Amino acid sequence: MNLIRLMVFGFLGLSVIYLTISFYSRSVRREKLENAWDENPPKGGDTDARDTYIETGMAEYETGFRKKLIWLVYVIPTISILVILYLTNSQ
Amino acid sequence: MRKIVIFLKVLPFIFIFGFLHYVLPQHDIARITSTEIIRMDFTTFNRLFYAQADSGNTEHSTRDVRLINTERKKTFLLGFIPRDAKGVMVYRNEDTGWIWPPYFKFDSSDLHAEAAAAISVTGNEQWVVITHYGWRNKFLTVFPNAIGIRQVSGPDVRIIPWFNIFFFIFVIVAFLFIRALWRQFRQRSVDPMLEDAGDVWDKVDGHADVAGAKARGVWQRLKAWLSTWSKK
Repeated sequence: MNLIRLMVFGFLGLSVIYLTISFYSRSVRREKLENAWDENPPKGGDTDARDTYIETGMAEYETGFRKKLIWLVYVIPTISILVILYLTNSQ
Repeated sequence: MRKIVIFLKVLPFIFIFGFLHYVLPQHDIARITSTEIIRMDFTTFNRLFYAQADSGNTEHSTRDVRLINTERKKTFLLGFIPRDAKGVMVYRNEDTGWIWPPYFKFDSSDLHAEAAAAISVTGNEQWVVITHYGWRNKFLTVFPNAIGIRQVSGPDVRIIPWFNIFFFIFVIVAFLFIRALWRQFRQRSVDPMLEDAGDVWDKVDGHADVAGAKARGVWQRLKAWLSTWSKK
């Protein structure tokens, strides 16, 4: 019963962290794209081109590897619980 | 007043320190003299300092608690500086189960057997390192909970608290991360909103200047009226 409680509340807590980090990561990515464009704007690039550039970059991010790394938020605590479980109870 | 303010500012840190001191693992160098089981009749004062019944069992207001009696080396400064003096210490040996504190300890019975196997007599001491958390309080009858027992060659072993080192590194990293997160949030979400609000405010202010010139007469009259309420 306690295990179910741990799993439910652990999942909720980690989901909050997951959402926060993905929000943050997306924001950082967008800022980097904006800065990359603004520092070195291509000739003839207008606001529309800038928007396209940023949206393309964001679409790349959404399917990219970096975003998948955020799943580690779930993986690392699970692994550390298993490790602690083993270390505590094995002799 | 100033002292009260300082006290209130320090208070959270005292609580955090106490909390971590209770929950984080510490290591004692001790020799086990005996193990025993006593029945505990908990009260609301000391119930908080015990875990729940053994994993898989049901909870009652009264139950048996395993204890490990030891003679241990005293230390200074959270156990970092060894002393020559010895004292006695009694540990409880309870399952922490799945919830709190997160040691995930289920092997109390095995640990009890280990402790019994390591019992030694004076003159032929077998020293062990006892990993534990919690406090000993004689007034509430509260014992630290033993988590693990490791046999060592002598009483002068050097203990490196790896878990605590990594724990505090993690806390610092988490703090820096949350700060970065907050800054990003402010810079990208709050500040633009405030800027918008600022623009609106400037507009309002512009209108207000025009209106203010008109209203000055009204305002002066209002002030004069208000001042009739104050004591002469």
